[in-house]
Amino acid sequence: MGLFINIIIIAAIIGLAGYQIYRAVKRSKQGECAACDYDCEAKKLLNKSKKRAL
Amino acid sequence: MTTVALLGNPNTGKTTLFNELTDKYAYVGNWTGVTVEKKVGQIRHSNTEVIDLPGVYSLSPITKDESVVTNYLLRDSPDLILNVTNASQLKRNLLLSVEVLELGVPVIITLNMIDDLKRSGHYYDLKTLSTELGCPVRTSNARNKEGLPQLKADLVQNQADIQPNSPLQLNYPIMVSQAIRQAAKALTTDYQIDAKFAHWLAIQYINDNKVVRKYAVKNHLKPLLSQQAYYDAQKFADQIFETRLSFIETTLANATEQLHSTKHVAMTSKIDKVVTNPILGLPIFVGIFFLMFKFSFDWVGTPLSHQLDKLLSGPISTWANQFLTQVGALPMLRSLIVNGLIAGVGGVLTFIPQIFALFACISILEDSGYMARAALVTDRIMEMIGLNGKAFIPLIIGFGCNVTGIMAARTIEQPKERLITTLITPFMSCSARLPIYSLFVAALFPRHQAVIVLSLYFLGIVVALLMAKFYHVIFRAKENSVFIVELPQYHIPKLSIVWHGTWDKGKGFIKKAGTIIFAGTVLIWLLSNFNAHGYVTQIDHSFAASLGQILLPIFRPIGITTWQPISALLTGVLAKEVISSSMMVLFHTANQGALIGMIGGSFTALSAYALLVFVLLYIPCFATIGTIKSETGSAKWAAYSVVSSLVISYGLAFLIFQIGSLFT
Repeated sequence: MGLFINIIIIAAIIGLAGYQIYRAVKRSKQGECAACDYDCEAKKLLNKSKKRAL
Repeated sequence: MTTVALLGNPNTGKTTLFNELTDKYAYVGNWTGVTVEKKVGQIRHSNTEVIDLPGVYSLSPITKDESVVTNYLLRDSPDLILNVTNASQLKRNLLLSVEVLELGVPVIITLNMIDDLKRSGHYYDLKTLSTELGCPVRTSNARNKEGLPQLKADLVQNQADIQPNSPLQLNYPIMVSQAIRQAAKALTTDYQIDAKFAHWLAIQYINDNKVVRKYAVKNHLKPLLSQQAYYDAQKFADQIFETRLSFIETTLANATEQLHSTKHVAMTSKIDKVVTNPILGLPIFVGIFFLMFKFSFDWVGTPLSHQLDKLLSGPISTWANQFLTQVGALPMLRSLIVNGLIAGVGGVLTFIPQIFALFACISILEDSGYMARAALVTDRIMEMIGLNGKAFIPLIIGFGCNVTGIMAARTIEQPKERLITTLITPFMSCSARLPIYSLFVAALFPRHQAVIVLSLYFLGIVVALLMAKFYHVIFRAKENSVFIVELPQYHIPKLSIVWHGTWDKGKGFIKKAGTIIFAGTVLIWLLSNFNAHGYVTQIDHSFAASLGQILLPIFRPIGITTWQPISALLTGVLAKEVISSSMMVLFHTANQGALIGMIGGSFTALSAYALLVFVLLYIPCFATIGTIKSETGSAKWAAYSVVSSLVISYGLAFLIFQIGSLFT
């Protein structure tokens, strides 16, 4: 495996990780469960229920 | 498309029935309040749409959640209503049925959980019930699909084939009847409202239904508004209730048949006498949780986890290393994949057995009917600190994930009480903290794993309750939300429901391994392999080491003497699972066994416990912080949560370590 391919694979892994962190931070700002992509049933129900002002 | 609305009291099995009718899976818990909003599904190979509405005791809502159903009936007109009742609680369930039958929409009543009724030694003559109530009455048992083919056949009808229903006419006292008749007539004549609907509207208005009264104000229904003072002064609502109750009692007395056995009810009542006992209830609750952790850690989780770890650190790591060497991968790439991804992400995945075992136990407790008792037992303590059992539900959900726990606090009526519940939910030990607990208890408390984890869970609860009391005093919260809990009969948990519940809760953990845990692991690998001058071969010269060493003096008073756990704690803000994967990367170990050995060498039992307490209570993860901000509508509360949890966690860990050191 050449140096170039090594660098591309490393860059791809790091890039993907960076994207995941960026996505997590961005989604958490919206108040969604950033760390959890899976919409569990409790979350689906709660997402539908209305927020109430304090 | 034919629309069927599923309507009934809480915990009558509507959601289970909805799942069976529509072949869907929606979260089922054998406790009140599972359905927060309405859900829509379709019966397969048919033109019938089914709407599952939240459970309510009456169309006159006590809480805002209950108004969903009344609003639905005011705005939409389903072609058919399937009124799901708990056969064993028919007297109370029929109070709602009567209100629905008065609407005049075609209704089918099903006596669900019919097996529970039979076990209680009673049965109802369906013909008598049907004649008295003026609608078809069926029996079902959604859990074992009994009676479902008949119900499906009843529901899969074309709109045109559905038999119209006359509204149920009760013999209300003369004055009430006259008031209803006059109001209904005026509504029909002056406002062109359908006669049946006008009749129902009049009854509901006179019965002091808050939602209907708002509806009347909004639509300027003068015949009702002008008489409000008269209706209330004459206490017509009380007379309506008395008439309905008397009708139900007579109907049930005529329809009741005695069977022989009452063993099941007697057993439920005997168990309840013990598990909801004011003195014994709480120790039993603790005992059940202890058994749950014993099962999840000592008996099943840890042995299975060791097997997974052997596979990962043995054949998989060796093969990956050899393969990468053969194809000419650079040492840096090999290190990233083998020491970073396989050791870190794979290392966290080896805790799947513990997590799934714990979720299975929680699902069993939910489906058996015990959780409702747990809410009742804790209600007494909650009341002492100014919350009520309603806050118990978000807290229990918080054991799975703090984010959903905080969102579940939406069901709490009073804003102050809701804010308090939102602020204390992050102290609940979510499942993401389990891998780090597992790692440390295996290293330093091999014989007492369950006790240590149990103590952490209960410490989280105690801190949450103390903080709740503190906030209650500070916020001067006076009003409380209404908490009604129904105690269902105990069931033998059904395998499919337990499996669905476990998979539903556990799937998120596996998915996180591919997203945020992966990202956190790569981040810590980068921090531990680079410094300002580039790639380093000595981890002690890396960014992670420098950062950890700078913060070491702050953490020394709580018993942390090496920089690695400090750097790992920083990544925990991404997601708590990342702490474990970071530890694997930072300690440069190929397997869990070696890491456990290293942890055993770097920590004492006391310093390890202080660290676990810190992990339990310190800064919530990003997702939780974001959710607090979103739910409270204020960044200040999110910032407050971060600062307060940091202060509390450090303070408590400090006290534990310093006081503990005096005795060791």
